[in-house]
Amino acid sequence: MSHNLELSRRRILRGAFATAATTMAGGWRSRAQTPGNDHDGRINPPRPVPDIPLRCADGASTSLGTQLQGRATALHLIFTQCTTTCPIQGAIFKRVQDLLADQTAHALQLLSLSIDPESDTPEALQQWLVRFRARPGWVAAAPRIEDLAAIRSFFGDGGRAVGNHTTQVHIIDRHGAWIWRTFDLPSADSIAAILQKMA
Amino acid sequence: MTGSATVMKPGNLTKTLLWASGWLVCALGICITAAMPQQNPPDSAAVREFQRGRDLFTGRADLVGRIATHLADLPPEVVRCGNCHAPGTEPDVPRSQAPRLDRDFLLGSQRRRGGPLSRYDRDTFCRLLRKGIDPANMVVSEEMPRYTIGDPDCSALWRFLTDGAHEP
Repeated sequence: MSHNLELSRRRILRGAFATAATTMAGGWRSRAQTPGNDHDGRINPPRPVPDIPLRCADGASTSLGTQLQGRATALHLIFTQCTTTCPIQGAIFKRVQDLLADQTAHALQLLSLSIDPESDTPEALQQWLVRFRARPGWVAAAPRIEDLAAIRSFFGDGGRAVGNHTTQVHIIDRHGAWIWRTFDLPSADSIAAILQKMA
Repeated sequence: MTGSATVMKPGNLTKTLLWASGWLVCALGICITAAMPQQNPPDSAAVREFQRGRDLFTGRADLVGRIATHLADLPPEVVRCGNCHAPGTEPDVPRSQAPRLDRDFLLGSQRRRGGPLSRYDRDTFCRLLRKGIDPANMVVSEEMPRYTIGDPDCSALWRFLTDGAHEP
């Protein structure tokens, strides 16, 4: 009898959690999209991001998995010599950081992930951050050349020329699972709204 | 009766001759200028417009633009035309996929994004800048900013790109 009660309680809790999650995802979706856009950016089921080695702008070595643990992350793919869409991506992240104020420093983070590790040395990545007056909570890093194809492919950017990379923003939860991707060049307001819900 | 003719001193004669020759040169100059066929002087308004267009294109002068889905304008330095497009025969923008903006592209009849044959004129060019709709009524990439730009600046950009000054 108590066993049955426990089971039904679990079922109710599971159902409530699923409903809450669906509602939340719906909320994110409506905020992340512009009216009339039927893009559905949910990654369903969420996918663990590959744990590849990274070199950060401060010269430190880490791994993507480590970097993503414990904070909700907005990630975009860039290369610092890009003059076309990357400066716009940087300006968007700058505005996201302004909108989020100091929250980015602990519960949230922005990650500029280079797709040109050959040129994007820690110095180049540091200049990227300085260029956009990035504050703590915005990290720039580059993978190893040998991991580049895999990580680009993971984020749906495989097979494209570097100059034609996606300009989507990828949302990763605090456990390192990829849960959402936006359309190209999303507004800072939509990214900030998503991240605030996850903080 | 003595002759009343006065004899000029040599110094006075020289002065008079200099005066006379000066007036003659001036008169000749005026006559020649008046008689010359009207050549086209450099149209300073057109030159200024071209220069303004060049400045807007390269970022020496600011443009105001945003991505169509955004609520706020982007910083001017990230919405410069020259960040993505090469004008005329100038060197490519490295790794850019955006079209080169030369006379062939703008004034030639072309199929754009799968639409019918079309070419730009000043008005369709300005519509593209403001609304992102090309002359074949096709919407361009969302990565192309939409600009808040007045007629004079739009005309200046159009002149810069189409007057052929930087093309053979």
